[in-house]
Amino acid sequence: MDYLKIYSLNLYSYILFAGYSAVCIPALTLFVAFMSLIVGHRRAMRLFRRAIAWWSRGILLVPFPFIKVCYENDSGDTTGEPYIFVCNHRSFSDGFLMAVLPVEGVQVVNIWPFKIPVIGFFARYAGYLNIRMMQSEEFFDRAVQLLGDNVSIIFFPEGTRSGNRKMGNFHSAAFRLALKSKAPIVPLCISGSENIPPKGSLLLRPGTIRVRRLRAITWSEYKEWSVFTLKNRVRELIGTELSLMENRV
Amino acid sequence: MNEQEIIDITNRVFEESFEIEKERLKPEAHIFTDLGLDSLDIVDLVAALQKSFGVNIRSEEKVRNIRTLQDIYNFISAIKKEGR
Repeated sequence: MDYLKIYSLNLYSYILFAGYSAVCIPALTLFVAFMSLIVGHRRAMRLFRRAIAWWSRGILLVPFPFIKVCYENDSGDTTGEPYIFVCNHRSFSDGFLMAVLPVEGVQVVNIWPFKIPVIGFFARYAGYLNIRMMQSEEFFDRAVQLLGDNVSIIFFPEGTRSGNRKMGNFHSAAFRLALKSKAPIVPLCISGSENIPPKGSLLLRPGTIRVRRLRAITWSEYKEWSVFTLKNRVRELIGTELSLMENRV
Repeated sequence: MNEQEIIDITNRVFEESFEIEKERLKPEAHIFTDLGLDSLDIVDLVAALQKSFGVNIRSEEKVRNIRTLQDIYNFISAIKKEGR
C-alpha cells in the first residue's frame, strides 16, 4: 500500500477516533455517573471499567477493515475470574486490545499513560495501577485487593513496547502477585500490533492483529514453583505460541 | 576464597535462584538489561548472595551501584578482603 493510501487511512481513522470519543466518552461518563447514584460503589466501578472497555472496543472497530482485530480463545478455561493476564507488548495499541477480554480488568501501566489527557484521567479513576509510582507493598496490597473484588489484573511484563517481533525480558511483579494471591495466570499472545502504530510513530499501518488467549496456569500447577520458574515458563509459553502464530517455527 | 570461587558461587546463585542459563553469565552482563532482573529481584539477589557467601551486605550502600556481574564479583571480593 503506498503512502497516499496509508495517510488517507490515518486521516480517516484519527478523525473518526476523535469524533467517536467526543460523543462516546461524555455519554458513557454521564451514564456511569447517573448509575453510581443508584447502585453501590463496587457496582459503579464495575460499570465504569466496562464503559472503558466498550469505548476501547469501538476504537478497535474504527479502522476496520484496514485494521482487523481477532480474539482467539481456545483456552477452554473454566477456572473463573479473576485472572492475572500476562501479555507480550509491541505497540501503543496493545492497551486498547485488552478490551477484547470478557472480564472486568485493570491494567498495570507505566507513568506515561497516566499523563495522556482524558485517557490518563479515566485510567487513574478506574484504578489502573501505576507500578513506577507505587511502593511495592502498596502495589501488591492494592492488586490483591482488586483480585479479591473479582477484578482481573493485566500485565505487560516487558515493561515497555518492543516495537518488533522480539520479546524482551520479563519483570517479576506479575508472578510475585500470582504467588501471593494464588490467582490463575493467563498468558496472552499479541501478534501483528508491531506496526499499528510502530514504536515512536502514530502512523497506523493496515494489518491484522491477533490476540490469542492460552490456557490458564492455576495455583495447583505453579504453587511449588519459584517466581523465576513461573516467569520463565510463562515467557516460554508466549514465545513458543507467537512463533507458531507467525510461522517462525 | 579466591576470585574464581567468588565467580563460581555468584554464577551458581544466578543459575539456581534466578534460573538463568550459564551461557548468559558473562562478566559484562548487565543484571537488569541482559539478565532480566528488576528492582524487586534485588532483594532476592542480596538474600541469596548473603546466604551463599555468609556475609551481611543488606546495609551496604555500594549495592546500589551494582550493574554488571563483574560489579558483583568485585563487590563480594572487596567484602571478603575486608574480612566481613
